[in-house]
Amino acid sequence: MEAADLSHHTSTRFNAELERVRSKVLAMGGFVEEQLRRSLTALAEGDSQLGQAVAQDDSKVNGMEVSIDEECSRILATRAPAAGDLRMVVATIKTITDLERIGDECEKIGQIAARLAAVERPVDRYREVRHLGRVVQEMVRNTLNAFARLDAEAALEICRQDRAVDEEYEAIQRQCITFMMEDPRTIRRALDVMWVVRSLERIGDHAKNICEYVIYMVHGKDVRHTSFDRIERELAERASQRG
Amino acid sequence: MNAGSAWWPFGWRLLLALLMGAGLGWLFHAPFAGVAAVLAVALGLQISHLLRVLRWLSGDKVELAPDLTGPWGELVGPIVRLFRRKQFHKQRLLRLLRELRRSTAAMPDGVVVLNPQTEILWFNRTAARLLGLRGKGDVGLPIDSLVRQPEFVQYLRGGQYSLPVVVRTSVDSDRHLSMQIVPYGVGQRLMLVRDVTREAHLTAMRRDFVANASHELRSPLTVIAGYLETLANEPGLDPPLVGPLQEMQRQAHRMSRIVHDLLELSRLESSESEAASRPIDVAALMAQLRQDVLARPVHPERVQVRADSRALLLGDELQIHSAFANLVDNAANYTPQHGSVQIRWWTDADGGYFSVTDTGIGIAPEHLPRLTERFYRVDQGRSRSTGGSGLGLAIVKHVLQRHGARLSIESEEGRGSRFTCSFPRARVQAPAGVVTALPGLAAVADARVESAGARRAESDQSSDQPDLGAAIDVFQDLGSM
Repeated sequence: MEAADLSHHTSTRFNAELERVRSKVLAMGGFVEEQLRRSLTALAEGDSQLGQAVAQDDSKVNGMEVSIDEECSRILATRAPAAGDLRMVVATIKTITDLERIGDECEKIGQIAARLAAVERPVDRYREVRHLGRVVQEMVRNTLNAFARLDAEAALEICRQDRAVDEEYEAIQRQCITFMMEDPRTIRRALDVMWVVRSLERIGDHAKNICEYVIYMVHGKDVRHTSFDRIERELAERASQRG
Repeated sequence: MNAGSAWWPFGWRLLLALLMGAGLGWLFHAPFAGVAAVLAVALGLQISHLLRVLRWLSGDKVELAPDLTGPWGELVGPIVRLFRRKQFHKQRLLRLLRELRRSTAAMPDGVVVLNPQTEILWFNRTAARLLGLRGKGDVGLPIDSLVRQPEFVQYLRGGQYSLPVVVRTSVDSDRHLSMQIVPYGVGQRLMLVRDVTREAHLTAMRRDFVANASHELRSPLTVIAGYLETLANEPGLDPPLVGPLQEMQRQAHRMSRIVHDLLELSRLESSESEAASRPIDVAALMAQLRQDVLARPVHPERVQVRADSRALLLGDELQIHSAFANLVDNAANYTPQHGSVQIRWWTDADGGYFSVTDTGIGIAPEHLPRLTERFYRVDQGRSRSTGGSGLGLAIVKHVLQRHGARLSIESEEGRGSRFTCSFPRARVQAPAGVVTALPGLAAVADARVESAGARRAESDQSSDQPDLGAAIDVFQDLGSM
């Protein structure tokens, strides 16, 4: 198994360093997940304080990114990793960038939630947005799980899920347009909701990117900008070659 | 047992065979050759028996025991019995283990066994369901790579496992999981996971109820208080009505205070975010609190304010004010007129401390642990007469919790009490410039003290050591005002 190769080393210190970076990335991921959850809670419950807190805490995400980035650079410089280790470090550097962007989107949602808390909430407490939020949360969660487990199959599955998020985004967009045409007084709120939905859609995209890095990390195959069918075919070929 | 019983026939038979061999040999004039031949045959027989036994022992089937008589049978019997006993014990242990495993697996609470590196060794089905763990693949992964909630990760690394930590999973399914780690063995850890969603919802419901009820009570109360005030100020009021009306006003005031405190408490409880961290000038706040006490019609003779540090406290000003005011109010309420109240703020390497010391009636030790409960009364009669809401310390506790601070209470009955709030270092900010701290001090300090503060201001630019504090003591009592 490739996963076993990743965790097999002659130098235990090096091993420990890689493990620490991985654990830091996952801690950062956990924090970002929490930011997403809190920002959506702030929106659903009209908690302006919570929304502001989320926006403020984004600096912590940025701090984590910088710290992990430095550690990765240090590993690259001092250990000159090869093969699986190199892929892991490269994938990590890319992953934290996307995690940081997810954090930025959460910050935006938090800010909008704080603003929307002042105006009256619709009766359904943004049901569609909450639903999309749940899907995206699940996606981020599964993405980080796939990263932790080095599970390329799960990562591929999540990439496919991203299409559903895009479709939902389109649906909410159409709905918002309908609302705005029916009652122009809702335009401001609808626009804010659109921003939230847009952020959620972006988060889905970032999660998908991370999944692609997971596939790259495990199989050493760059699957960006490739259709799913081709990815699947190639992965299946590799698996059969390995027997 | 007559263990040797098989030996006699064997011995006799051997002797007989030897005699017969010797006799037969004697016939051919070679008795010794006959004896030797018999011995060789006997030895061969024994060796074949030995081989059979060895072959049997190297296999793992007890049932295939060679059917031997004589000393060899004597040997095989006990071995078979030993095997049987061992196997019986083994099976019993296995059964026990399987049963144990099955019962742990069926436990309604999730169980995860962690090794010293906090990697997953084993987990049961409930844990798999609650935490989203998967089959054998997740064994060996660090637990915090799959359970990533920041509160949990902090808890896991913090090493303080006396209380469980509650984390939320997602917005809409909104599951609350309580997790507790139980260390055992050498660095091994057991993690218990419980779904506390129902409890959390009940708590939320209770909180919402209290908040709504208090909110609804507020408006009628305002109306009543308003009319009472108008009535009490009526010039042609019957003298016998004056007393009752005043009492009604007092009670209405008290009721609105309780409602106010209840609302504040539920606001504190419902907010999920940590308190803001804006710089608060504690010295100025203390001065204001002192003024508030002195403005009371009846108050302790000496109210001292002592700021040993100019460090600023990072927090939510409204909440901190409310907490500190509650502590100071309590001290003033329970201290007789000839007593004294001292309010102090100082810092050290570990953080900042705010304390209120009084020479009041004190609290018996048995009450201390329950003091911060809502409506907990040490003495029913007395506390009612002071007009407190019974929620003050509960508010203090919640405010401090949200600031990551701790409340410690020392008290001796009849001698007085000291309430100390200890803030962590992250909540204390070194003063940016002395000038910002001065207005707060100047507000209360008379000219003499102010000049002392100014003198210190020159010497203090480089450091804010608490031991220099004596110079800026804004030590004041009623006499000097």
